[in-house]
Amino acid sequence: MKKSLCIALLATLAFACKKKNSEPSDRFDRAKMLENFAQNLIKPAFQELQNQVNTLKTATDNFVQNTTLQNLQNLQVAWENAYTAWQYANAYNFGPAGEQGLRKGLIEEIGTFPVSTSKIESFISNNNANFNDFNRDARGFLAVEYLIFDLNGNNTNILSNFSSANRKNFLADVVNNIKMRVDEVVSAWNGSYYNEFISNAGTDVGSSTSQLYNEFIKSFESIKNYKVGLPLGKRPGQTQAEPTRVEAYYSGKTLKVIGEHLKAIENIWYGKDKNGNDGIGFKEYLESVEGGTTLITSTETQWAIVMDTYKNIPQNPRISEQITSNPTPFDKLHTELQKHTRFFKSDMSSLLGIAITYSSGDGD
Amino acid sequence: MKKFVHHLSAPIPAYPLGVFRLAFGLLMVFGTVRFMALGWIEDHYTEPMFHFKYWGFEWVEPLPRFWLYVVHFAMILAALGVAFATRIWYRISAIALFLTFTYTELIDLTYYLNHYYFVSLVCLLLCIIPSPPPVLKRGYFVPRWAIGIFKLQITIVYVYAGLAKINYDWLINALPLKIWLPANNKLPIIGEIFTWEITPYVFSWAGMIYDCTIPFFLMWRKTRIWAYLAVIVFHTLVGLLFQIGIFPLVMIGGTLIFFEFEKNPVISPAPVETRQCLVSTTVSQILTMIFLGIFFIFQMLFPWRYLLYEGNLFWTEEGYRFSWRVMLMEKAGTATFYVKDTCTGREGVVDNSEFLNAHQEKQMAMQPDMILQFAHFLGKYYEQKGVCKPQVRAEVYVTLNGQPSRLLIDPNIDLMKQKDTFAPKKWILR
Repeated sequence: MKKSLCIALLATLAFACKKKNSEPSDRFDRAKMLENFAQNLIKPAFQELQNQVNTLKTATDNFVQNTTLQNLQNLQVAWENAYTAWQYANAYNFGPAGEQGLRKGLIEEIGTFPVSTSKIESFISNNNANFNDFNRDARGFLAVEYLIFDLNGNNTNILSNFSSANRKNFLADVVNNIKMRVDEVVSAWNGSYYNEFISNAGTDVGSSTSQLYNEFIKSFESIKNYKVGLPLGKRPGQTQAEPTRVEAYYSGKTLKVIGEHLKAIENIWYGKDKNGNDGIGFKEYLESVEGGTTLITSTETQWAIVMDTYKNIPQNPRISEQITSNPTPFDKLHTELQKHTRFFKSDMSSLLGIAITYSSGDGD
Repeated sequence: MKKFVHHLSAPIPAYPLGVFRLAFGLLMVFGTVRFMALGWIEDHYTEPMFHFKYWGFEWVEPLPRFWLYVVHFAMILAALGVAFATRIWYRISAIALFLTFTYTELIDLTYYLNHYYFVSLVCLLLCIIPSPPPVLKRGYFVPRWAIGIFKLQITIVYVYAGLAKINYDWLINALPLKIWLPANNKLPIIGEIFTWEITPYVFSWAGMIYDCTIPFFLMWRKTRIWAYLAVIVFHTLVGLLFQIGIFPLVMIGGTLIFFEFEKNPVISPAPVETRQCLVSTTVSQILTMIFLGIFFIFQMLFPWRYLLYEGNLFWTEEGYRFSWRVMLMEKAGTATFYVKDTCTGREGVVDNSEFLNAHQEKQMAMQPDMILQFAHFLGKYYEQKGVCKPQVRAEVYVTLNGQPSRLLIDPNIDLMKQKDTFAPKKWILR
């Protein structure tokens, strides 16, 4: 009796609410979103990275065999293209690119900066290129960068350094190591992981949505905290700006690389591929949930400011010099990224109901 | 009064207490093994470099890893003792279980859960009941209060949890269930239900009515078996939907105390003295009664302390814990801490993940007292690193039940100058 009364009460109540509630709250298909990510963003990003790394390897082999200025310049171009391609894969450090046992995430294996030049030089002088240790600041793309770019653009210096056989060996080994890591990830995505990723369509920890989201956040925060904050001396205890700790310090490509990274983050939020085709992404996911449209507006408004601030940073001189001579435009980017953080971080995970940790929550 | 005491002391069959302690003890064994197997001793206690403290228990520190394992193994033995032992071994087990479990809970406030608090309270009550007879043997009696206190405690948990659900967001907006349920649309068979618009409303109301009334249906013989089925269905469902660990099992096991397991449960007709009963009218019994009186008055009053604070309880969380407020809100925050060297004027931004694990950061970023603790930690940490007389401020944006996030606390206030007390925190923006 009591039960049926309850049900009747609830039914009336729910009817009453149904009418005034016009938000489209149902039928968002996370598997479709994951498929879009896998097919149009993640796989192409890794594929492009692999292609560019292959070119980098060829250029390295040529250069090592024949240390001419032309070969060096080719190598520098190949590095820049490969490192640019990496920015678009930077946020996908899960699954085959995630931590597993002793192996760290792909970003730590190939994207650590700033590199330790003293470690690199000591490996070279000992002719030791063992990449199984924990010295991740002595390998990856930015170790290559240190080896092949002269801070003042003086390529003759680089060429003369490379008269050393040890240096050639080390360069070849670092590039081979990058290629090995990237090949592993690409073959996993071309294999069974693709379906595994799409079919794991829940929202618990370990679900594809949760992994993608968490790595997306980490990637975004790494721009603010490390690519921008660290060289500006924004970390507590830093007593001054440390311009030498910018990303891509030796090539001076700092600003360009940050721009590519920001673009990659933007693409993920929209679910957009590199050619600008907009598929189902976090934005569409937000559209389907309670309170989502408001958050979309705030996010897009602030993101536009972030991108404007980025565009207002002068192209020249290089960022490491601007930090000393005129830090304000670069500093402003940090401020705006900071303002943006909550929209990606807690506001979004809260609305989407994405689990962040394994531990139990408060039961009912 | 005398009549009341006599009623409470009247011997009743001890069998339900046996079932209860057996179920509870075994559950504690299971829970502890699970905790160790998941690697949570490391994740929760040994790996984080900073622990959030409970107010008044700032002195509780995590033991080294080896000793934490010893504590957990002792907890397993104690739980087995609570399930099976009698007399002095029972007593030792109950006290050991209470102390070890409560100790591990007090290490870090991050992992506070109402059901852990409930477990601690049950352990405490198990310490003071008369030594129970051999488990699952019939023909023994205990005073009525020794079973009644567990029923009362469970009733308090349910009713207070139910009362807390009587609020505008929960009943009228079906929040936060409207946010949580659609995320479950990939569950096998029932997943589809969670895409319906009506579902969060049904669940909200059903949850409120269930919590408010279930203990009474469990008490009443005629409805008991149906009520218990409802307990099983409800907690199983909730356990499937949300990441809440062993809580469903705790309640499914705990509510067994309401059963009599006898066709015609009779109150011992003969005078107490002649029965095989463990009641004694000594000083210790009087002390026990006084303790229980205070205990339950505290249990009933403490959850209402929030009324003494200004502002929305869900927002300020002043008086939120220890009040059976469970699954009531979807809340999350982004907290950014700024440490300023007051000699040079240079201010740095903290990367929280350097100091906190994901769970700690998540909990901290929406609870003012934890924000304050972390700020003090940062101040001390950076002072040692050479930052001169550090000032620490925090910009904390919090979203509650899907509302756009806004500032939780005054972002300009120097948190190093604030202390955590029961007094209202003036720096919370209401």
